[in-house]
Amino acid sequence: MPNEEIPENQAAHRFKKRGFSFESAIRYFFASNAGLTIVILTLIIVFLLKEGLGFFPGYRRELEVYRIAGLEFVDISRKNLTDHEQLTSVLNRAYYAEINGKCGRELLRSQEANALFNAYTDQTSSTRDLVLNNTQAGENKESKILAALGTNFAKQKAKALKSLPATPHLSDRERHDLIESIRIRSLESTEDPALVTALAEEFSNAQQKQAESLIGMRATIDAFDAAGAELSMLVSEMTEMVTATKEKIQDADILEKDRKTLLAAASSAKDAVEREKLTAEALASLADKPDVEGPIKKLLERRPQCSDAHRALQKSVEPLAAQLPESLSQPEASRLLSAARQTFPVFITNLEKTLPAIRDWNDKAPVELTAAIGSFLTGKDWVTGGEWQDFYGILPLAAGSLMISIVALVLAIPSGIGAAVYVNQFASNREQSLIKPVIEFIQAIPSVVLGFIGILVFGSVLRDLSTWDSLSWIPGFPIEERLNIFTAGCLLALMSIPTIFSLAEDALNNVPSAYAEASEALGASRVQTTFRVIIPAAFSGILAAVLLGFGRVIGETMVVLLVAGNRIKIPDFTSGLGSFLQPSHTLTGIIAQELGEVPLGSVHYRALFVVGILLFAVVLTINATAHRFVNKMKR
Amino acid sequence: MFNPENLILKGLPKGHIKDRVVRSLMAGLTYAIVLIAALLFGKIIVDGAPVLFKAQAPFVDFEFLTAKNETLHVFDDAQGTRHQLPASAYSDYIKKHEGTPIFNETTYSYSGGGIAGPIVGTILLTVGSMILALFFGVCAAIYLSEYAKQSPFIHAVRLAILNLAGIPSIVFGLFGFSVFVLAVPVITATPSDRSLLCVPLFINDYVMSFQGWNSSLMAGCATLACMILPVIITASEESLRAVPQGFRDASLALGATRWQTIRKCVIPFSLSGILTSSLLAITRVAGETAPIMFTAAVAAKDDLPWQGLKSPFDLLSSQVQALPYHIYTLAARIPSSEYTQRAQYGSVFVFLVIVAFLSLGSMILRSKLRSKLKW
Repeated sequence: MPNEEIPENQAAHRFKKRGFSFESAIRYFFASNAGLTIVILTLIIVFLLKEGLGFFPGYRRELEVYRIAGLEFVDISRKNLTDHEQLTSVLNRAYYAEINGKCGRELLRSQEANALFNAYTDQTSSTRDLVLNNTQAGENKESKILAALGTNFAKQKAKALKSLPATPHLSDRERHDLIESIRIRSLESTEDPALVTALAEEFSNAQQKQAESLIGMRATIDAFDAAGAELSMLVSEMTEMVTATKEKIQDADILEKDRKTLLAAASSAKDAVEREKLTAEALASLADKPDVEGPIKKLLERRPQCSDAHRALQKSVEPLAAQLPESLSQPEASRLLSAARQTFPVFITNLEKTLPAIRDWNDKAPVELTAAIGSFLTGKDWVTGGEWQDFYGILPLAAGSLMISIVALVLAIPSGIGAAVYVNQFASNREQSLIKPVIEFIQAIPSVVLGFIGILVFGSVLRDLSTWDSLSWIPGFPIEERLNIFTAGCLLALMSIPTIFSLAEDALNNVPSAYAEASEALGASRVQTTFRVIIPAAFSGILAAVLLGFGRVIGETMVVLLVAGNRIKIPDFTSGLGSFLQPSHTLTGIIAQELGEVPLGSVHYRALFVVGILLFAVVLTINATAHRFVNKMKR
Repeated sequence: MFNPENLILKGLPKGHIKDRVVRSLMAGLTYAIVLIAALLFGKIIVDGAPVLFKAQAPFVDFEFLTAKNETLHVFDDAQGTRHQLPASAYSDYIKKHEGTPIFNETTYSYSGGGIAGPIVGTILLTVGSMILALFFGVCAAIYLSEYAKQSPFIHAVRLAILNLAGIPSIVFGLFGFSVFVLAVPVITATPSDRSLLCVPLFINDYVMSFQGWNSSLMAGCATLACMILPVIITASEESLRAVPQGFRDASLALGATRWQTIRKCVIPFSLSGILTSSLLAITRVAGETAPIMFTAAVAAKDDLPWQGLKSPFDLLSSQVQALPYHIYTLAARIPSSEYTQRAQYGSVFVFLVIVAFLSLGSMILRSKLRSKLKW
């Protein structure tokens, strides 16, 4: 053994004297490149944490200001006020739904006539204004221009008259008359055509007639609406008071920060003169501690008044359920009314809870760091850039991301795995050479292109489809918003199908062929072999494919930013499956949308980095689980 | 009595009908995907192709590809003719017809002219990031496939690659923004206020200031390179490993050093494989929007990247337009109308054609490679 090693050692000896051979230099060069990946991953983690972790102390301070300035106290009452307003609006909607539903024919006729006339004015108004302005202003205008303008208007008018909307509830005679009256209409005329006015009158007459039978309901709603007036006034008064305090505290905070920067600059300044100058400046800008005690005292003096207002409100709600009619004739109105009825008890219990809350509220209660963390993780509001108070609650964003992923996976898992099984087990070679490139091609489509398709084509197609009467049984149809969770989910499904497909196909491929042969030798059919033998054998690989697809979906940005509708609100789950047809915002989308607009280093900026950290952690967990399944399969 | 002959005579298994149903169900699912993809491409081609092609020779509208991106002005002249002019042509028109009024003027941002700026910007970003990623990625792959043995370091590298590959692109955007835009060192005489750390260099007033490269071409390239690095490493390692072990053994047996072996006997045979798989990486780099939103891209820019530069370094430190970001702007920031459709569908069509060529090229090259390289 030693004999064999001697030449090798001798060969190395020459270089070893120099301490560093060319070969080992190259080796270290390559190794350092491999180490670069570790450096990048570390940098990602370090910088995300560096920017993100400052968020919680900053947010804690914001919440503290929210409390000591008394904003929190006002929000207790404001919440009830908003509930009251919503309840009133639901009742009003029920009332008008009932009336309008009863005189539906008149309403439709009036609306159609209006729509027709509006379509005409929309198209011609700009040209018409030009003609009018020039006629009035210019005695010395060239007649040529006026003539040109006139012909231009005539052209527009002719064009507009050709493209008028349909009016199924107007008789042909009426439609013809209406169009004729528009055609002969003089340029200056500002009045509506006779038929439009007549139909509007017909409608309002019908409304009045119907309203007579509902006088009781109207009075109840009005009384309820009026009951909130006192609280509303009180809240707006208190709002002014606390905003002033908050501004003072914030200004003082900014001054304090400036002072610290100046002091820091002073300690690192080069010459003594400059240092003294900076220190003096810092001392001069020492802010007076803002007076919070006075305003808060004044605010708390309103406590009894506030409680009284709430009691009054509570008194006005309690008989409401009895006073309102049991049911209404129109289905839409009944639905709204029963929705309102369901919210009454909730509203009343809320009001009951409010009284002790007002009594026990304490501006001195400390705001802990855990409160900031808790408010971030379980907050139901993501409100930023408002004048009142910024909240950074992750729930609406997480809910949006999750619901979009659910839609995407529900669509993508069966089709992706189904396609993989088909291609792997049943398809002929020719089919394979068609399907595989197409799916590979889908993978190559940039996500922004898919988003573009969603926003310009798919959203509108889906909305048009949802207005079909034959599809009205689907919950949530007809959809209100073109861009919603479902639209985004469909596009993301298309995006994740290639991922799921190719990974699942790999997993199926890796099943030893002996399994299939053995199964077929026992007389099992192809389908039996596939479902009883091959798929169970490849199961953990398929599960990994699904998980990786999920990771891809939840991290995707551009499609959801363009297509999800970007409304920061937890979807209203009372509408069941219809809640998937509401717009929403996502974890990825919020970063992309807001990072460009926030000031560097602000709490909002840091909040976006915390969202990034969360996303990073979630996706890494999903991927790690997936790779565990893959390794299991390999073994 | 159970007779085995019956089983054979039946010819078909019992679940024959069920078999067919399941089979056709699966086929239906598969072809539904193909159909949806076809519809998607069809829609873009039908709406986008007319922008780029025309009936007369030379059949391709080069103006759309070579003109700068501008605001579109739509207006009627006194004769009622509708004009659609990009900003520069519009001001010429106004100068020429001074005194005659125009009517119904509306403007559409980003919708006039062509898309030369975005195309060039995307090419610059792609080339820059691919150079970076290929250099570091191939070197790392060489280490992994040629030198590495089981060690904690290799384990950590593999884990890092695996994790990097899974990180969402928007997180790379955050990373690029906080590192390349705000924190990497630059050598300057006038450090900015937000500099994290200033290291004096003792040459005149120059200091190394950790203040970042701002939103610039090089910040974008670096971010994209980090994002694509794991893909390049994995693909390169695969093609390096595809070179038979015998090549290396033979070379080493002849007395060549490890580096000579790698240089002469491994890299030449794996180069085509590396380049083919990097074509796919190009499609990904060219298509990403989220990482460059905050690090490099700008919605509107008057000059092409190389115009009005004082030094070549300015090219790297200036913002660029990029095709995917341009499409995002067109889709999200401006209301869609008949006048913006040309810009919208045209850009998407051009983009998709580029991506299609790249991925088709990689598919064809790969199949050629497979048939050629059989050891």
